[in-house]
Amino acid sequence: MTMSDLRRSASDFWKEFRKVRSGMIGLIFLVVFICILIFEPIIVPYPEVNEKWRDITYWQDLPSSAPPSWINLFTSKKRAVSETIEKYTFSETLAGAMRIQEYVFEYDYSASVAPSDVVFHASGVGKPTVVISIERPDGLSVDLYRKQLETSPSQDARVSIDRSAQTSAMNFGKKYSPSEGVPLQTIKTTDVLFSKAQEGIFRNPEPLVGTYRLKVTLLLQKPDERIDNVFISIAGRVHGILGTDNSKRDIWSGVIAGVKWAMLIGLLTALVSVSIGVVYGVISAYVGGWKDSLMQRIFEIFISVPMLPVLIVMSAVFKPNIWMIIAIMCIFYWVGPVKTVRSMGLQIKEETYIEASRALGASNTRIIFKHMVPLLIPYAFASMALNVPGAIVVEATISLLGLGDATIVTWGQILQAANSGGAMLSGMWWWVVPPGMAIAFMGMTFAFVGFAMDKILNPKLKTR
Amino acid sequence: MDNILTVENLKLYYYTSKGVVKAVDDISFTLKKGETLGLVGESGCGKTTTGFALLKMPTPPGKIVGGRIEVDGIDITPLRENEMRRNIRWEKISMVFQGAMNTLTPVYTIGKQMMETLQEHREMERDEARKRIEKYLNLVGLSSDIVKRYPHELSGGMKQRIAIATALFLEPKVIICDEPTTALDVIVQAQIINLLKDLKEKLDLSFIFITHDLATEAEVSDRIAVMYAGKIVEIGTNQQIYGEQGPCHPYTKNLLAATPRLHERVSELSFIPGAPPDLLEPPSGCRFHPRCSLAMDKCKEEEPPLIEIEDEHMVACWRCEKR
Amino acid sequence: MYWKYAIKRVLYGILMYAILVFIFSALFNTVMEQTLRAQIEEQIRGETMRMTSLNESQLEDYVINRRNDLYSLYRLTRPVAERILWRTWDTLTLNLGNSTIIRSSNGSRNVWDVVSEAIPKTILLFSVAMLVDIVLGLLLGLKKAQKAGGLLDKSTSVGTMVVFGMPSWWLGMIMIMFFAYGVKIFPSGGLHSTPPPEGISYFFDLLYHLALPVLTLVVIGFWGRAFLTRNIVLGVLQEDYIMAARARGIPERKVLYGHTMRTSAPPIVTMSLLALLASVGGNIVYEGIFSWPGMGNLYWIALQQNDVPVLMGNLAITTGLYICGLVLLDLIYGLLDPRIKVGGKQ
Repeated sequence: MTMSDLRRSASDFWKEFRKVRSGMIGLIFLVVFICILIFEPIIVPYPEVNEKWRDITYWQDLPSSAPPSWINLFTSKKRAVSETIEKYTFSETLAGAMRIQEYVFEYDYSASVAPSDVVFHASGVGKPTVVISIERPDGLSVDLYRKQLETSPSQDARVSIDRSAQTSAMNFGKKYSPSEGVPLQTIKTTDVLFSKAQEGIFRNPEPLVGTYRLKVTLLLQKPDERIDNVFISIAGRVHGILGTDNSKRDIWSGVIAGVKWAMLIGLLTALVSVSIGVVYGVISAYVGGWKDSLMQRIFEIFISVPMLPVLIVMSAVFKPNIWMIIAIMCIFYWVGPVKTVRSMGLQIKEETYIEASRALGASNTRIIFKHMVPLLIPYAFASMALNVPGAIVVEATISLLGLGDATIVTWGQILQAANSGGAMLSGMWWWVVPPGMAIAFMGMTFAFVGFAMDKILNPKLKTR
Repeated sequence: MDNILTVENLKLYYYTSKGVVKAVDDISFTLKKGETLGLVGESGCGKTTTGFALLKMPTPPGKIVGGRIEVDGIDITPLRENEMRRNIRWEKISMVFQGAMNTLTPVYTIGKQMMETLQEHREMERDEARKRIEKYLNLVGLSSDIVKRYPHELSGGMKQRIAIATALFLEPKVIICDEPTTALDVIVQAQIINLLKDLKEKLDLSFIFITHDLATEAEVSDRIAVMYAGKIVEIGTNQQIYGEQGPCHPYTKNLLAATPRLHERVSELSFIPGAPPDLLEPPSGCRFHPRCSLAMDKCKEEEPPLIEIEDEHMVACWRCEKR
Repeated sequence: MYWKYAIKRVLYGILMYAILVFIFSALFNTVMEQTLRAQIEEQIRGETMRMTSLNESQLEDYVINRRNDLYSLYRLTRPVAERILWRTWDTLTLNLGNSTIIRSSNGSRNVWDVVSEAIPKTILLFSVAMLVDIVLGLLLGLKKAQKAGGLLDKSTSVGTMVVFGMPSWWLGMIMIMFFAYGVKIFPSGGLHSTPPPEGISYFFDLLYHLALPVLTLVVIGFWGRAFLTRNIVLGVLQEDYIMAARARGIPERKVLYGHTMRTSAPPIVTMSLLALLASVGGNIVYEGIFSWPGMGNLYWIALQQNDVPVLMGNLAITTGLYICGLVLLDLIYGLLDPRIKVGGKQ
């Protein structure tokens, strides 16, 4: 098999492949995935998703368990979206040595479901007293926060209204809906603040649309105290393309980040295991005799092991990282092609040109790798393509059980969080459906490609 | 009518993705009761296709597009699949297939398959059926306890005999044998040939014997039809073709010349130059003209019809005239 | 002929199992012994708690002596290789020790009791699913093979590829979200309702709980079955003997369901069983999702509660059943294919 032979058969193969529609579609999907992989930093709204997946501070401004923003297109009860308000009117008055700074932010609320949280951010030096109140369109004002806030020049200090103003909200609500007795823990601050002040404000709130004004007053007592970078972030009730999970992580970023891992795991496992399997099968066929039988016995031991149970126990006991998981998967997957490759190898061995090569003095290695293996490359490729989905699912299964490599973001990791976070029970379909669909989609892609290749290389399956 | 089988202007074309292959293109011949007609030619000339056409079982994507077939006085051309299956196939006309090694289902015993065939066609008690199966197995030289065996347990020769027994036991009028001895070793070949000759005499059967092996043909056939590229180019009796005067058509002549004889000294093997034509776009006029050493201009333009040059001897060639 | 083949195969399977158990025992010996030591300490503690009459030093002596006794009893003082061999033997004879936490339904902590309870439940779920899967897949595959390349064939092939990479447990999650919590048709899990009904209603309740898991498995599995059947049947239909049978006047129905199916059966059955065995792994999560109290679920629970003995015991038994499956496969194939059943030329 020379280089030109290989090139010719490759172009023949490509010509045939182009005719198979499903194969071409699979190829297009594959190209899409590769593009996603390459352009990940641009596509993803939270570019540090890989490193900061387990860092709660990175995600703290997002709403928790929020559905995707586009569901607003399908419902009349619009939910508030996330936004950042940086515009404010500023005024400063002096009372002796104390500086009183007042920032007023305007927020237009026109949705039917209140935002998840309203967060005040500031960085600076010192520990000013912060007083926050909200003035509603119906003229009522609610005092939300009155405390000293520790600031630092490098990091944001945050005040989450949802958490800090819960009692104020309850008191406000009780005033206008005295009959409702709701325990403090069940109250959602923002739901109360953004609803009409009337009976039923806790259980049956009616949205109060209009312009809200958030007044933040900072009392700076020491002369070196300083505040800058002041803004309000509104964590909507919906967020992003795929919503958020219960740890406030943007699921779209997670799913996109998972693409590269899925491809890596799938392709690497498939490549290594099929390569080993093909070489093993060919050598076994070529050497024949007792060596062949021995290799077959070893092969049978490997094939008698149910992969996943063993993999699970090994992961539980040895707690491996992703590379070790891939390695273990290869240990199981290499057996796949061996039987077919060996029978193909036995057929090739009988060909006269093999005998001729040997008569000419070619070494065994040369015969195996230059004459036999190249003939099996088409089969090997088809086999690899068809092995990829399996490997991805196995990793996802391991991760789902909590045994995967927790330092990386894979679709299985996302699903594991979904399962332990009770996503099914809470109906958080945006957490459960997208990662699994991504797995299924990538599996489908490789299935299309692999089956198309198989169709071309396996003449019996040709239909007229 | 002395003719047990009449074929007129039979056409069978294959409709492939690359175009229409005219595998059998307007052939006509007859088979007399009690005679063996040999159908001979190179691979791909259409002889096996003709065999299937007579059973009205063209291999897809083939279709019978024209002609008339009459078996035992019945015009089977307009008959539908159901009627063919029930009344004609295996009842009136049966076939011993090429490569009988692979014509028995591997998961059923011989007995089951033979019994199944028998009972599909005749209402018979099991005992009666068993007796008939035994009779025919013995006739082909096999012991009757072979019915318990599976096909993979038997040798090629045995399977061939079973195929023959199965083709016979409904006592059809015409039996088509398609290369019954190819893929068998020479000794078994001879046994099968003798068996066929023997059976023909004993049971007064009519055979169509398809082969590419002229030597075998000479042994078995009473009359011989030579096919080339989907057409019959010569028909004659055994004597006329193999005898002293020999055939007239250049192709037949070349075929005979290319077959070495045991008692002749041959310094050089002769062969027919060129290759059989592409039946997608067959040559114009006489299909043999590109390979014919005697070709004239007329051969390129007009296709020669089958004309009778002697009693019972027809040839399709512009060079041949009445003897 | 066949019996020789069968016995050889069974013996071979047993040998294979023994080798695997040995490998497992060697691999996990350290972990198992950690647990064993912890269990011994627990036992000693339990015993000493009741000994209020002894003083400090007497207690100490007792503990040390007892520990030595128990260590010898459990062979912890012998060399490593011997320990591994003994563990192998114990596992093979189903002497699997006690669990750390998990108990069987009658309170026993014996690992064999715990695991053996779960076996029939797993077998129930997966045999029912496999049955439905094979029947549907066979019928569809046959239809596809008859009109190969046609609309039905092409469209269902797409279906096969769509579910090819879909995790069964994920589909289960979706189905539960939709059919159990969304449109409340099916229960969200479990073997039966609590409390389980009596008599004939128990049977129906069981079916009701089987419905969703089986449905999900079938949706994923039967495309592959149909595809496989279609390919194998197509291959057989092109064989000479099918054409010959038709020529002999055998009606199409008999040719298809008799000759063709019968010849296709060995490879179809084998590959279906193989696929079933291969899905043994995915079962673990799958049963967990549906809270189906089978072996897979047991695995999950043992993982979460870090109950190593149950994990090991379950692994050993799962592997054993897996090998049984492989042996059974070969035996069935041998039975169906006369070329093996009866052997070679006479």
